Amino acid sequence: MKRQIPLLIVIILGFIFAIHTFVPHKASADFYDWYQTWIKALSPFMVLLGIMSLFMVNTAKIQRKIPGWQYSVITLLSLIVTGAVGFIWGTQEGTPFMWLFKNVQMPMGATMFSLLAFYIASAAYKAFRARSIEATVLLVAAIIVMLGQVPIGMAISKWIPETSSWILNVPNLAAKRGIGLGVGLGMTATSLKILLGIERTYLGGGD
Amino acid sequence: MAEQKMNFFDKMQALDRRYIYLVVALAIILPLVIPFNSRTYVTEPSENIYKKIDSFTGRKDRAVLMCFSHDASTMAELFPMEVAILRHCFQRNIQVFTICFIPAAKPLMDYALQTAKEDYTVQSGVDYVNFGYKPWGIFLPIVLGMGDDVAKAVETDDEGRIVSNLEIMKEIKNYNEMNLVIDFAASAAVYIWIEYARARFGANVAAGVTAVMAADNFPYLQTGQLIGMLAGLKGAAEYEKLVDVFATHKEMVNGVETVVPREFSKEVIKDSWIKLSDIKNPVYKTARIGMNAQTVAHIMIIVFIAVGNIGYFVNRKKNKN
Repeated sequence: MKRQIPLLIVIILGFIFAIHTFVPHKASADFYDWYQTWIKALSPFMVLLGIMSLFMVNTAKIQRKIPGWQYSVITLLSLIVTGAVGFIWGTQEGTPFMWLFKNVQMPMGATMFSLLAFYIASAAYKAFRARSIEATVLLVAAIIVMLGQVPIGMAISKWIPETSSWILNVPNLAAKRGIGLGVGLGMTATSLKILLGIERTYLGGGD
Repeated sequence: MAEQKMNFFDKMQALDRRYIYLVVALAIILPLVIPFNSRTYVTEPSENIYKKIDSFTGRKDRAVLMCFSHDASTMAELFPMEVAILRHCFQRNIQVFTICFIPAAKPLMDYALQTAKEDYTVQSGVDYVNFGYKPWGIFLPIVLGMGDDVAKAVETDDEGRIVSNLEIMKEIKNYNEMNLVIDFAASAAVYIWIEYARARFGANVAAGVTAVMAADNFPYLQTGQLIGMLAGLKGAAEYEKLVDVFATHKEMVNGVETVVPREFSKEVIKDSWIKLSDIKNPVYKTARIGMNAQTVAHIMIIVFIAVGNIGYFVNRKKNKN
């Protein structure tokens, strides 16, 4: 029963939503309205579930003193402090919540993403070599696109941004579309397998 | 075994990463601290978003929905474009809605609204509405629900008001009126708008994405499923320029510098060059100052690639000999 009931819910609701997409009948529309009300009512509990899960995982790490447990303390403290200031003073401009956001989260987030520039520069210097024809094509394309993305590219020559645009619009687009079609077909096949009960790995247990 | 003496190229190949990091840091920090005037060239995907938004000027039966789908880590690229679009809307009396489905985007959304409305007398519920944060679990129901009734789908705004009671909603029903959705993301969030709002209801969808995500969106741009795209800091700089050249265009009227908005023109944008030093408010030129740093960083990476390859080929030749 533990596996059959979730499986039935997925199959029945999956077919109902598939039918709803193609059948614009009143019953279908009413069912969808009913579903929307329910999902909205359920959504706060999803957030609650997320917070509970975060607490359980990190509390367990702290109790067992597993390596890096100090980070779990910081995570939980941050959650409690941020949540508390948000509930007490609100989240608008001028509140402690906004101060925390501007002075803690913003710089930390920006720092993490900025590291990318350092890694790219280092990798470009250490590993980006014209070892083969393919690598040379990639290298030349990268240089043209990099120049085409900044004003100096246009200042050097009109054809740099034009070639950059061609690279993005033709070879890049062809590759992306190929990948997109493959992913789309794969998703359709997997969805059908789930709807028909053939694919059951999402239930856990490995079968 | 005697240690072989390293020549210049060997030393360059074995250069400590910390020196590279130092050069990168200087290449980015210096242009930000000492901004210089550089020219911004506007591309068609950015122009298309501008033209679409501008076509809603003064219309009560049209609105733009801005969906914030990113956190602070990608703020450097996406925040300037969000502020520029909001400025455009406020300046041209275009109704705008904001919404987010990830908690980390909520303060960013508030901050963008706060920053953009500083120079304008706009009123929440009349000129704009912040729908606020809605849990990710109801992203799809809201996207689909907006196809029937926007007010019914979101129900309340950020201030807890019933959306259907707001003045701004008088002539706004669904995607026919809320005719443009712009998703700002460092992820694939925009595809949900394409797959459901565009495919099912015919909504116009545009994207404001980080530069690394831009390449993924070209197929949708070519098919017209995306009406336009702001790609990274470059896209933000382009939109800032469009707003400066057209929406907040200034002329001397009776000896007083006055904002006289003008219609988009390819000829005008092609020839116009606004010096960064002429723009007083730093918020209005953030992306263009950032583009200076990006220019230097790109050149530096190209130099790194060139130096690395020269060393590689010299050493390879030496080893062959």
